Amino acid sequence: MNKNIAPSSIKKWTAVAGAVVILLAAILASMVLYPQSSQGYEATTWAMGSYIQQTLYGSSAEEAATQASSAINELENLISWRVAGSDIEKLNSAAGTDWLELDEHTIDVLEQALSVAEATDGAYDPTILPISSLWNFDSDEPTFPGDDKIQEFLPFVGYEFLRINTEDNTASLRNHGNGVDLGGIGKGAACDAALKVYKESGISGGIIAVGGSVGVYGEKPDGTDWRISVRDPDEDTQDGLGVLSLEEGCVSTSGSYEKTFTEGDNTYHHLLDAKTGYPAESGLVSVTVVHESGAISDALATACFILGLEDSLPVLKELGASALFIDEEHHITIAGDLEFEQISTNYTVSRQSL
Amino acid sequence: MSSRFPLFRKRDLLIFLLAAVLAGAGFLQWLPKSGAPVAVIEQDGKEIRRVELSSIPQPETLVLDGEISVTILLEPGQVSIIHSDCPDQICVNTGTLTRPGQSAVCLPARVSVRIVGENNSGIDGMTG
Repeated sequence: MNKNIAPSSIKKWTAVAGAVVILLAAILASMVLYPQSSQGYEATTWAMGSYIQQTLYGSSAEEAATQASSAINELENLISWRVAGSDIEKLNSAAGTDWLELDEHTIDVLEQALSVAEATDGAYDPTILPISSLWNFDSDEPTFPGDDKIQEFLPFVGYEFLRINTEDNTASLRNHGNGVDLGGIGKGAACDAALKVYKESGISGGIIAVGGSVGVYGEKPDGTDWRISVRDPDEDTQDGLGVLSLEEGCVSTSGSYEKTFTEGDNTYHHLLDAKTGYPAESGLVSVTVVHESGAISDALATACFILGLEDSLPVLKELGASALFIDEEHHITIAGDLEFEQISTNYTVSRQSL
Repeated sequence: MSSRFPLFRKRDLLIFLLAAVLAGAGFLQWLPKSGAPVAVIEQDGKEIRRVELSSIPQPETLVLDGEISVTILLEPGQVSIIHSDCPDQICVNTGTLTRPGQSAVCLPARVSVRIVGENNSGIDGMTG
C-alpha cells in the first residue's frame, strides 16, 4: 500500500463515520421497533376509601403522580364529611345556623353536585347524609335501619336545603339535621383534580382510576385511544363486559353489585333513592357515564341508576354526557356517541341516540 | 503502524466496539423494562414483592400480616388472593390473575396485586 494514496487518517475517519452511522441506525431501528417503552410510570395509593392507580407517560411523570396524589388527599380533607375539620364536616355541624366561608375547591364540587341534583330532580342528591348514615354502607356491618327510622329522617333530605354563594365562596344548610355526603361525586372530583395537575405538568399523557372512576389526559405513546374495560356485573373475572375507547374526559360507573349486604330474605345495595330512602329499584344493574368532568360523570352515574333508562336520556342530553346501561335482562343500551367493543357474549346490545 | 489492514486497525476496532456498546445501550433503554408479565404486590402503597410470573418455580403462599391478614398464592404463571380477613371478600372473589393489566385489590387491608408487563390486552383502565 502506498501511504501517499491512502493516508491512515482517511481510513480512520472512514471507520469513525462508519461507526457513527451504525450507531445511529441501531438507535433509530430500536426507536421504530419500540416507539417508547410501552410501560409508563405507575403509582398506586389509597385515598377516599379507594384504590388509586395512575399510569403516566412522558417526562416528569413521577413528579406529576406525586402532585396528583397530594391534590387528591387535599381534596379529601376538604370534602369528606368523615374527616374532622373538613369543610363539609364544618358545614354539616353548622346546619341550621349561619353561612360558612369554604375553600373554593369545596364550593366548586358543591356547585357541580347541585347542578346534577337540579338536572335530575334530586335523583342524585348531595344532602343524602341523614339517610346514608342510617344505612352506613361504608361500615364493616351495615344494617337495615328499619322503616320507622327511614321515614323519620327522610324529610331532612333535599338538595334545596343546600345553598351556595359562588361570589363569596359561602354555603349553608337550612335546617338543623340536614347534612351533605359527597360520596357519590368525590371519586369523580378526585379524577378532575388529578387531570388538572397533569395538564399543568410536562407529561404527554396519563390515566387515573379512583375506585370505579377513571380520567384520561393527553396521548398514549402509541397515539391510540385510551381503552377502558367495563366490569361485567355477573362475574368478578378480569375480562370485563367490553371496552370503551376514550380520547379524553372521564368515565364513572354505579352498580348495584358494589356494596351490598343481606339481611333475612333481602339483599340491599348502596345506591339509595333520596325520594324513598331505600335502595333504588329501576331494573338496572349498572350505569357507566362518560363526561368531560369526572365529578359530573360520577354523580350522573348514580342519578341515572336511580332514574332508570327512560328518564335518564333527556338528562344525559342536557348535560352533554353519554352512557352505557346494563339491565337485569342482560341487555346493554348505549346512549349517545360511545365507542364500545363488546367482549362478553352473555349480553345483547342496542344503541339509543340522544 | 501497520497498513496491511486498512479498515481494521486496532484503534479503529476499538471505536467500532465503543459504537456497538453505545448502540446496544441505546437499544436496551428503549426496550420495555420487562416484556414478560410481572406480579407486583403492594401493601399500603409500598411494594412488598415483584416477581416475574414465568419464573415462579413452585406454588408459594405469601402472608401479609396487618390489622387484616391477606394470603396470596404465587404459582407458575399466575397469582391470586386466596384468603383475606376482610368482610367483603371482593379480593378473593376476583380470582386468578394471569395477564398484564389485571389486578386484585383488598380495600380494607390496603393490599393490591397487579400484573404489569407488555400489555397485550390493550386495556388502560377499568370502570365498575
